[in-house]
Amino acid sequence: MDRALKARLERRFADVLTGPIRQRHDETEMRIGPGDVPIVMRGLHDETEFRFRFLGDLCGVDTGEVMQVVYHLWSDTTPDWLRVVADGLPRDDPRVPTVTFLWKGAEWQEREAYDMFGIMFEGNRDVRRIYMPPDYTSFPLRKDFFLPDDSSRSPGGGVRHMEQTHPPVGAKPGARVRRATAG
Amino acid sequence: MTASTEPRPHGHPSADDPRVMLDQDIGVFEPVPPYPPRTEREEEFYTLGDGEMFINIGPQHPSTHGVLRVVLKIEGERVVDLDPVLGYLHRGVEKLCENADYHQAICYTDPLEYVSSLFMEWSPVMAFEKLLDVQVPRRAEYIRVLTGELNRIMSHIMFVGWMALDLGGLTPILWGFIERDEIVEMLASIAGQRMLFNYFRIGGVNGDLNHEFMSRLGRWLSHASSQLQTELQLLNENEIFVRRMRGLGIIDSQTALRMCLSGPNLRATGLPFDMRRAHPYSVYPELDFDVVTRAEGDCLARFLLRMDEIKQSLRIIDQCLNEMPDGPVMAKLPRLLRPRPGRAYAGIEGPRGQLATYAISDGTDQPFRMRIHDPSFVNLQSVGLLLPGHLIADTMAIMASLDPIMGGVDK
Repeated sequence: MDRALKARLERRFADVLTGPIRQRHDETEMRIGPGDVPIVMRGLHDETEFRFRFLGDLCGVDTGEVMQVVYHLWSDTTPDWLRVVADGLPRDDPRVPTVTFLWKGAEWQEREAYDMFGIMFEGNRDVRRIYMPPDYTSFPLRKDFFLPDDSSRSPGGGVRHMEQTHPPVGAKPGARVRRATAG
Repeated sequence: MTASTEPRPHGHPSADDPRVMLDQDIGVFEPVPPYPPRTEREEEFYTLGDGEMFINIGPQHPSTHGVLRVVLKIEGERVVDLDPVLGYLHRGVEKLCENADYHQAICYTDPLEYVSSLFMEWSPVMAFEKLLDVQVPRRAEYIRVLTGELNRIMSHIMFVGWMALDLGGLTPILWGFIERDEIVEMLASIAGQRMLFNYFRIGGVNGDLNHEFMSRLGRWLSHASSQLQTELQLLNENEIFVRRMRGLGIIDSQTALRMCLSGPNLRATGLPFDMRRAHPYSVYPELDFDVVTRAEGDCLARFLLRMDEIKQSLRIIDQCLNEMPDGPVMAKLPRLLRPRPGRAYAGIEGPRGQLATYAISDGTDQPFRMRIHDPSFVNLQSVGLLLPGHLIADTMAIMASLDPIMGGVDK
């Protein structure tokens, strides 16, 4: 845990942080609103006190209530991984600005997040399906997408595995989607 | 594609619908996806300029290392632009892991990168250990490093073989399999399996080193160095190979960082960025090895760098054997793991670059979200930058030099 990094982040990004900075093991986590992603990322990437030049990972997360886009950054100024969580994307229309202006390599990772979660990356000029076929309509990693209980049967046998979400067989009516208490 | 005219019971036609397959016009190559709306990039790519044409490579092509389809836009013999089409091997591993418990998740991840599956186990295992706050016994860490480096050598040998095979040389892959088989048999004697080892467990490894492993390792180490040197010379001193590879697919370090490249591909541009040193994990801080770099950033540099890494891996193996402590190889853990709610990220240096797992726990026995970051996926992306301007015949060389594993790319 790099306490100094926490202090620097709190000082620099005091106005955009939407939650406390958390630290555990070798990770520092900061939460921001989706609209602040470009300025925060540009600050982290360009400013000499941060120098987060390496994008470790970009992924989407569905907590069951909101969507998140999570960035993991590496810098030579700190021994920690920095996790930037763009929090609070509405599940019915998740939108976040792209980071491809800093990391062109985020393009496919953003396409993947779109493919799996339906998160729209504004400014990415190639947001389309990457793994699933282009005529596919649902978003498999969302928490309301259940795996079919008969997944062992082959798709050709009549199970429409591509299909829309349905609750598991035997679920009580109105059963709730499993959700993260991790927040 | 002409779809069946008969109305479908469930709405839109599905690619998995057998009737769609029957009605399909077979034999006519139609590169342009028929469905609107297109993205800005698709619009640009699928608009042909004067004298340009499309050519399709894959998904079944001997040089695509799996099922990768690349639509090339060419003018004469030169590649103008390209559009890789992924997903032919997509298995939805992340979703499967969310529906499996923590031990089962490792079984799903290790077939992803099937030539370096120990690394594909290492990263999730490390992430889960962080979630659980487990201290891994030191002997287990040493065994992980030892077996991991063996796996790295094995993977790099395969790279060399494939690389030469894509350029038309058959010998290196046959020679490579001699070495690889010895390592594979050695690992099989402790893991019980030749390719998908499933050897790393949360809290340690599954079983201590045994006599068969040690004797096989000793026998192999006695001639490994000279054998690998011979194999290197086969290509390194081959003028056709070297002249073909030099100056092909050059990328500079700043562009490589912007393309999120990692691993040997990034180090071949001159940046000494290695997770084992940049973000130390396991017992790597105690081991002595060099982070090899090369300044050129071309295909030849990427090839030679991997050969140098094999030598560093041999050094690490040597140190592991000398410094291996005694003790248990598994931490004491309950059968059913329920980490407290939290998030963990573990990045390791795989043979292809930064291999990472991001796991979220919600307090149940299944990961709430498990993200697998695969270096092949990110590295493959830069073919879009490297290929334009090169000849069609060079596409295979450049793609092979990035060393993508389609199992990892498609997850």
